[in-house]
Amino acid sequence: MIRFEQVGKRYPNGHVGLHELSFRVRRGEFLFVTGHSGAGKSTLLRLILAMERPTTGKLLLAGQDLAQITNAQIPFLRRQIGVVFQNHQLLFDRSVFDNIALPLQILGLSKPEIGKRVGSALERVALSDKAELFPGDLSTGQQQRVGIARAIVHRPALLLADEPTGNLDPRLAAEIMGVFEDINRLGTSVLIASHDLALIARMRHRMLTLQRGRLIGDGEAV
Amino acid sequence: MSATRIPPPQPAQRVGAAPKKSEQPTPDDGPDFRSQLHAWLESHRASLVDSLRRLAKQPIGSFFTCLVMAVALSLPMGLALLLENVDRLGGSWQRAAQISLFLNIDASEAEGEGLRELIAAMEDVEEAEWISREQALNEFQQQSGLGEALKELPENPLPGVVLVTPKEVDKTTLEALRLRLAELPKVQQAQLDLLWVERLTAILKLGERFVFGLTLLLVMALLLVIGNTIRLHIENRRTEIEVIKLVGGTDSYVRRPFLYMGALYGFGAGFLAWLVLAYGLGWLNAAVVRLAGLYGSDFALAGVPLADGLSLVLGAVLLGYIGAWVAVARHLNELAPR
Repeated sequence: MIRFEQVGKRYPNGHVGLHELSFRVRRGEFLFVTGHSGAGKSTLLRLILAMERPTTGKLLLAGQDLAQITNAQIPFLRRQIGVVFQNHQLLFDRSVFDNIALPLQILGLSKPEIGKRVGSALERVALSDKAELFPGDLSTGQQQRVGIARAIVHRPALLLADEPTGNLDPRLAAEIMGVFEDINRLGTSVLIASHDLALIARMRHRMLTLQRGRLIGDGEAV
Repeated sequence: MSATRIPPPQPAQRVGAAPKKSEQPTPDDGPDFRSQLHAWLESHRASLVDSLRRLAKQPIGSFFTCLVMAVALSLPMGLALLLENVDRLGGSWQRAAQISLFLNIDASEAEGEGLRELIAAMEDVEEAEWISREQALNEFQQQSGLGEALKELPENPLPGVVLVTPKEVDKTTLEALRLRLAELPKVQQAQLDLLWVERLTAILKLGERFVFGLTLLLVMALLLVIGNTIRLHIENRRTEIEVIKLVGGTDSYVRRPFLYMGALYGFGAGFLAWLVLAYGLGWLNAAVVRLAGLYGSDFALAGVPLADGLSLVLGAVLLGYIGAWVAVARHLNELAPR
């Protein structure tokens, strides 16, 4: 599903974000990317989301070269990826329902279809009774669940998460990871950037380890 | 909080499907044209309602923005309406631009009438009037107060006259017409008082230029006002725009609510400007009627015609839309998700 071939990212100020990174992610795979701050985890996610372009190498997402796609194609690429952020990126002036409905409104689905899908996404993250509330009325863990619901409501093939448990206590973090595993069981590929090694080790999935933009490890977390 | 159990799955979609037109459902949804059209209309309706809601949330701020724009609109429009009124008043001045054709003293009544018909048929002539020698003498007797003295004359000394009212009051056109008329048979002299005409033309042209220049300046000011207002709205919604872009919103999707907002500001401003002009002209009219009455005239200012009012509102909507479009286009690239 994702193929990095000697992908490098150098910024205009000379800083190198990634050094000739090569790896593959299979369809339906659950994968962690770990490393210290500045290791290149976020850069990697930003490249997959086409928020940045690689300066060298080839980055293929389901056969599509992200270095070659036009700016006009980027929104359509992103519609097929779900993203979860550490800080949730929720819209606090909209209800939980409206936050989750946003990707579907962009797709132009009908109101009944949106209602059905949002209801289903809320059920998946166990927030069915919170639809009319606003994000400010929810706990941090619930906000993160809303973020996850928004990321999966349009049934993406790939789910990216950048430090999704960074602000959560261990119990909530494990719970959120459980949600990701459930989503992965539906066939969605999941790629999570996290530096919580203890949590990663408990889940026993494949783990890429980055250090200063280089891939220094690729194997099952122990 | 207990761990979440997920209900039966829906299959994930394939990544890398060919991009389709903006805001269309993904291929697996298989929408037909009707549902796509409905979704597109629904998206526009939602943007319009959202923009209205946001304007209504800040009624005072929105009103003052509209008022500033309305003042900018009503100044040139008001001046243009005043010019129209002056032009209407000048309809009587146009008579001062009449060309008087004095015929030979031996020209007969039939020849004079024939000449009138010939001149009246000319393209650049509004109308032509034949005044026979007898009519001229009668009028002169009445107006001069020399009635008895004139009766003593052995014969009528006045020639027949054709009074020509031209269509254009432009100096060059009038002079050309005068020369052509002077060449006609039986015409002894063609007389035109050009000074009045020149003054009138100059005043009207100056007024037109002034209004045009002012309109250009105020349109630019209006675009800046709307652009700046929309820029502030964009700043306030930066997070929302970033999220929309991250979940696959196209530029046109991001742009849409701001364009509606610009158009709504324009609509409010156009409507306010119409009101200001209608009431302003009504207020001025009372003084104008009193002044005209002192000169024995029944002249009154015309109000804002319905067509002009509607054009004003429509133009303002268009300006608001353009201003918003320029503002969003300028700032859209800065709004890449971070």
